[in-house]
This record gives sequence, C-alpha cells and structure tokens, in this order.
Amino acid sequence: MGWLPWSSESKTNTASDGGRIAPDRSSRQKCWEGRDMFFSCLDNNNILDAIKDDKEARRKCGKEIAEFETACSRAWVKYFKEKRVMEYNRDKTIERIKNEDAAKVQDLKSQGWAPR
Amino acid sequence: MASTMRPLVQVARQATRSTLPTLERSTIRTLSSQNAFPALRNKTAHSAHVQTLRSNGVASQRSFSSTSLRAKARTMGQLKARNSTGPFSWKSALLFVLTGGAMIIYFRVEKERIARKRVAEMSKGVGRPKVGGPFVLKDLNGNQYTEEDLKGKYSLVYFGFTHCPDICPDELDKMAEVIDRVKEETKGENIFLPVFVTCDPVRDTPEVLRSYLQEFHSDIIGLTGTYEQVKHMCKQYRVYFSTPQNVNPGEDYLVDHSIYFYLMDPDNDFVECIGRQDTPESASQLIMQHINDWKREGKPLRKD
Repeated sequence: MGWLPWSSESKTNTASDGGRIAPDRSSRQKCWEGRDMFFSCLDNNNILDAIKDDKEARRKCGKEIAEFETACSRAWVKYFKEKRVMEYNRDKTIERIKNEDAAKVQDLKSQGWAPR
Repeated sequence: MASTMRPLVQVARQATRSTLPTLERSTIRTLSSQNAFPALRNKTAHSAHVQTLRSNGVASQRSFSSTSLRAKARTMGQLKARNSTGPFSWKSALLFVLTGGAMIIYFRVEKERIARKRVAEMSKGVGRPKVGGPFVLKDLNGNQYTEEDLKGKYSLVYFGFTHCPDICPDELDKMAEVIDRVKEETKGENIFLPVFVTCDPVRDTPEVLRSYLQEFHSDIIGLTGTYEQVKHMCKQYRVYFSTPQNVNPGEDYLVDHSIYFYLMDPDNDFVECIGRQDTPESASQLIMQHINDWKREGKPLRKD
C-alpha cells in the first residue's frame, strides 16, 4: 500500500545510503485525492477540525479517513488537518475585515465623506 | 502622463526655434540693408551678424547653421509666401507627433528599467541587508559546491525538502516551467542556474534528492550537506530553519521553511524574490528582464 508505513523494518522506503525516500509524484497525487475525499466528507457533516473532533470524524467518515491515512504519512495527515482549520480561520478573518471595511466606508459616506 | 508632457512642450519649442536661423539668413541676404524684419527676436545678435556680413562679404553667411540652404527668395512676395504659415506646417506637425510618441514610449521603457535597476541594486553596496553569501555544500555527485559556482550566471535558489506535503511540489513544477522558458529565451546560453537546497539533509541524501528532482526538471541542481552546513546556508539566505537535529530513525516530521525563490545576479547578490503569487509567465518575464538589463550594461556572463 503505497509508501506509507514508516516502520524501521520497511526497506522499500529507504535509500541505499540510509535516507528515507519521500513520496513520488503519483503517491503525492494519491494522497491529495484521499485528502480531498476526506475533507469533502467533513464538509458534508459540518466538521471543521478533524483533530479536535477526531471521534466524530472517524464515526461519520470512517471509510474516507482510513483511505486518507493509508495514502498519506502521519505527518502529512496532521499537517493537512491543521491546514484546513488554519485556512478556514484565515478566510473568516479576511471576510470579517472586508465587512468591517465596507461598514466603515458606509458610515463615513453617510457623514459626507467621499472616497478619492 | 503629466510627466511626459513637459518634455514634449520643450520639443515643440525647439522645433519652432530651429526654423528661425533659415528665416534670419534669407532676410539677411535680400534685406541686408533694410534691417527691419519684425520677427527677429535677437536684435543685437542680428545687427552683429549683419556687420560681419558687410565687412567679410557673403562667405561668412553659413557660420551659424549647418542645414543646407533653401532656394533663395528673389522677391518680397516669395519671401512672404514662404513664411506665411509661420513655423507651423504639416511637416513640423508630423515631426512633433512622431517625436512626442517616440519619447513617450522611450520614457515608459526607461522608467521601468530604472525601477528594476533600483530593485537589483538594493542589496549592493555597504549598509544594505545582505541576502546570500559564502557557503559550502555538496552537489548530487558528491562534489563540493560553493558560492563561486553560482558566480557569473543568474541563479534561482529555492529551499525545500523532499517530504514537503503540498507547497514545494507546486513550486518546483513552477520552477521547471520557468527553467524551460528562460532556456528558450536565452537560446541555450547556459547563463541561468536553478538551485534546490534541501533543509532536511538527514533524510535528503544525494540519492533521494536526485530521484526527487528528476521528477521535476533534470536541470535543477540539488544541494545538500551536513546539518551545520545547511543551517549556515539557510542563515546566509535569511531562511527560517527549523529542522530538528536529532530525530530517531523512522520518525516522521515536517520542516518549516521559506517558500520564496531567490533570484541572484552573477555577482551573487540578491536581486528579487519570486513567490507564490507569481505565475511561471510572470516569473520568467521578471528573470529575463533582469538578464537583459545585465547584458545591456555590458557586464560579464559565464556561458560555459
């Protein structure tokens, strides 16, 4: 199953000089596909943080998370889960600032200020 | 636009002025004794000219102008007809428009070039923030690779690691496209070095790095070294370095690193950053502009 198990016995992931080999293009692609499947399942079930709500995520998207975790290494799984939360918060913040800006402009306009 | 208008006015003024010597000269020839042409601007200069004419004869009449003489006007009527439109004619209007247009284009091109030059020279000289510098690493054949190997060519330096989840692969695909574009535009002059420095030397051995980079572009020069060498390299390029030093074999981890490309000139001075926002098109265009500026200034390039 891909390159996943980072167990020390695994010879297939080790280069002859001892370095561990990173996923190649096709396994990266596989991992990203697994990630997208899992995240769309999370979206459908209104789960944002798959680390905090791990139990619920596993109950509702058991098949997807299994595939995701098989296709990607542990560090990547954690990274993508964290990134999902981070991006969500980032987008929320950007939206909030935009709304605040618009409200401010509206407010100033009502006081007779004109944008240059 | 406003800044280009003033030079245009000056051009117009010069164009009208340049027709005056011919006008004065013909006046002198036919009306040398009359001395009463209303359009003369500089009376003292004119009377001095007339005096030399009288004492030296006709030979000195060409002294103020190198333009060829126009057909001589015989009568006042011919003279008036010739000058009835004043200094303005279709020819001068066309000249005005063409010169103006050419200057607008020239000023725009020059303005962009100077802006790039300012960016390129930002890291040159004393008291500037320094990105880049001496380093010692190993290339994929195990040979020593230092900053000297980068000199004489433009280089695009990228830091990453093979276990990078999503950003590095995207950026390396972009790099591959940039390499092909620059190669095409420099017509294979071999003056551009794409360099990949691993931030994770423990896992990224030359062998691992070679097969990894091969997937993107065979021209990319992979560099690795000891933990200390890589740390030093990252410090030189002001790259945040967070690789854990002592990890157990089999332990999986990620590395935080800079996601910028660093464009370095043939003196190995930092020129500009290329980031996530750049497309392969915009990045290669930027690189080509700097390469062409460098060539235009006649500075040396190593083409071996």
